[in-house]
Amino acid sequence: MMMTLFMQAAAPDRTSGSLLMFATVLATFVLFIYIFRPARAEHGVEKTRLAYLYERKEQTYENLRDLNFEYKAGKLSDADFTGMRDSMEQDAAALLAEIEDLEREAQSRRGVTA
Amino acid sequence: MPQLGSFSLLVGLALSVYAFGAGLLAIFWDDDRLGETARRAGIGIFWAVTSASAALVWAAFHNDFSLAYILHHSNRALPVAYKFAALWSGQEGSLLFWCWLLACYGLVLRLRYKVDTRLVAHASVVISAVQIFFLLLVNVPAHPFSMTPGVVPADGNGLNPLLQYPEMVIHPPMLYLGYVGMTVPFCFALAALIMRYPGEKWIHITRRWTMVGWLFLTCGIFLGSYWAYRVLGWGGWWGWDPVENASLLPWLTGTAFLHSVMMQEKRGMMKVWNMWLIFCTFLLSIFGTFLTRSGVVSSVHAFAESNIGPYFVTFLAIIFAACVYFYIKNRSHLESEHKLESLVSRESSFLFNNVLLLVAAFAVLWGTLFPVLSEWVTGHKVTVGPPFFNKVNIPIALFLLLLTAVGPLLAWRKTSAESLRRNFLVPGIISLLSGVALVAVGVRPWQDMSYFYSTVTIMLSVLVAATIVSEFVRGGLVIARHNLSNQGSAWQSNIFYGMYQLTRRNMRRYGGYVVHFGVIVTMIGFAGVAFYQNTEKELGFGDKLEIGHYTLVCRSYTQDDQPNYSSERAIMDIFRDGKQIDTMYPEQRFYKASGQPATMVANRSTVLEDLYLVYTGKNPENGKPIIKAHLNPLVWWIWSGAHFILVGTLLALIPNAQARKQAAAQAARAAARQPVATGAI
Repeated sequence: MMMTLFMQAAAPDRTSGSLLMFATVLATFVLFIYIFRPARAEHGVEKTRLAYLYERKEQTYENLRDLNFEYKAGKLSDADFTGMRDSMEQDAAALLAEIEDLEREAQSRRGVTA
Repeated sequence: MPQLGSFSLLVGLALSVYAFGAGLLAIFWDDDRLGETARRAGIGIFWAVTSASAALVWAAFHNDFSLAYILHHSNRALPVAYKFAALWSGQEGSLLFWCWLLACYGLVLRLRYKVDTRLVAHASVVISAVQIFFLLLVNVPAHPFSMTPGVVPADGNGLNPLLQYPEMVIHPPMLYLGYVGMTVPFCFALAALIMRYPGEKWIHITRRWTMVGWLFLTCGIFLGSYWAYRVLGWGGWWGWDPVENASLLPWLTGTAFLHSVMMQEKRGMMKVWNMWLIFCTFLLSIFGTFLTRSGVVSSVHAFAESNIGPYFVTFLAIIFAACVYFYIKNRSHLESEHKLESLVSRESSFLFNNVLLLVAAFAVLWGTLFPVLSEWVTGHKVTVGPPFFNKVNIPIALFLLLLTAVGPLLAWRKTSAESLRRNFLVPGIISLLSGVALVAVGVRPWQDMSYFYSTVTIMLSVLVAATIVSEFVRGGLVIARHNLSNQGSAWQSNIFYGMYQLTRRNMRRYGGYVVHFGVIVTMIGFAGVAFYQNTEKELGFGDKLEIGHYTLVCRSYTQDDQPNYSSERAIMDIFRDGKQIDTMYPEQRFYKASGQPATMVANRSTVLEDLYLVYTGKNPENGKPIIKAHLNPLVWWIWSGAHFILVGTLLALIPNAQARKQAAAQAARAAARQPVATGAI
């Protein structure tokens, strides 16, 4: 039925052609307004080293959780688990130390500004 | 309508130029308002290209043969679904479809700009550059709205008969969604490199985009294989055709990226490698498109020779130069945070996996381009056939299968011999037992190389399956024990509930295991190739044909006449052990508009084997129909594996339960903070 409908459809007449042209002009105008008259614009913030370190901290904690889970699942020997946990904890400690330094720096900068 | 289509394409091109230029200036001048107009222009591209695509589909449905494209790719009697498919069945239409898909991806990218405004602004400029190229193509050398010269014929030439199959309506969109989908991770990667984006958040943002692109590419490749199997009538599903290879290349590098990117996320390693993997994946997607459309290689899938080749070469050169320039300029930003500590570690297994996938990609690329290269160098075209590809890629695939088993059970950083023993003893024994079982049922791997490969494939697949089951069981037990110790209900202390919770906690990892399971199911299907057999015979009424344990008896032949085609069909009764089990109808069609024949394969598929019948035509001397029968073991497994891969990837796309809780908590905290912040201002 649908196919027959499609096959019987005729080429557009003059009226529908004019309507189509009007709709095209209107749509182009609306698009123009939409693009060149934005009501507001979001200001992009530069990502800081501190924000990056927070992400790394989350990732390191997740790695530690995974390691713990794999140990409980019996996939790691005691020696492997202890060695890896110590190494990851060292990474985490280094990250936390840098985060603390940067936070202190940021706080002191805010204090100077105030 | 054709005028509307042409106008929309011009508007789309103008908007993409504006989105690129204004976006670039907005970044240099740090002008938020200009940047917002560029973003909105990017959204406008979607509407312009949608309107052009709708105009072409409308012309196909209304049999507007004044358009040369519709005249060449449609006809009045063509069924509705194929009229829709006419959009991507020819060079110009498929490029327009490509533009539309790119516009869709671009739309989503620009609508989700709040995820990281600056990064998305940079990515938006890169995607605009890609949009300029494709919109330039459809506006100049491959214009889908070109008019038919002279008198407009009453009917069109029709769609290529090879494309008049339901699978063919879905296969190209899937493949294009995959190819085009790889543009988004490329744009984010290049944007992150250009702006020296700190950290791996861009990978988190693009992870789903990459998986979605990879999933579509995988579905497209499987659907293409299924189409080749069911339509081309040669009894195989992969022929190492240049266009098939073109789709495999970005899939291989994309698969490598999806694995190695985990090392960057987890340990901040392999940043340069990952950056180049995603660059290569995008470049290979474009290169594949170039191969299909330029006429450089001859293939059953390729479009007619055209003049768009130089455009693609120029675009590829510009993109490659941009990638090299920004890499050299900002390579210090990609320094690794950790080093490889041991060769027996999860990191090294990812590294080996990547190396193997890249070697496979290089071998496929080399074999595909060899005819072109040999013609340049010697003046003679030397074609590389399936034996070359099989010889190189089968051992690589087997090593990859081994790594699929080994990798997930290795620990990050290093794994001791004791941990190896804990993890591999039981799966290893099960795998060896499967090899013994194969020999016991009569497989003789020492008699033939193909039997050897099949046996090793099945043994390694069993090894992978055993390691996957062990991962689920061990993890499920830990959670079940934890629930029991926390006074959980009997149901919560059940191992199956534990496995469910385990998957919900890390959808990506356990979804990945389901994908791996799908891969081994598919590989078992591939292993069946060693045992394929076929026979061909002229069959009159009541004649018999024997293949394997089947006897085929020709009962009759029928003829039919439809508006779109006429056909001849054989009615074959299938007997097994003297008992009739089925009737099959292999058919040959003759499409009237195009004047081309096509086969309709009759296939009886079971878990163990496919009985595949082809009506190949009539003997011109005596007029007797010829039937070709194939007995293909384990083909069902190939398509079943594809379903597991689909489900596994969809699972991996679902956010983890914990991540969803964290996101909800963050949103709640943000909502609670909002009035305070407003009050403070």
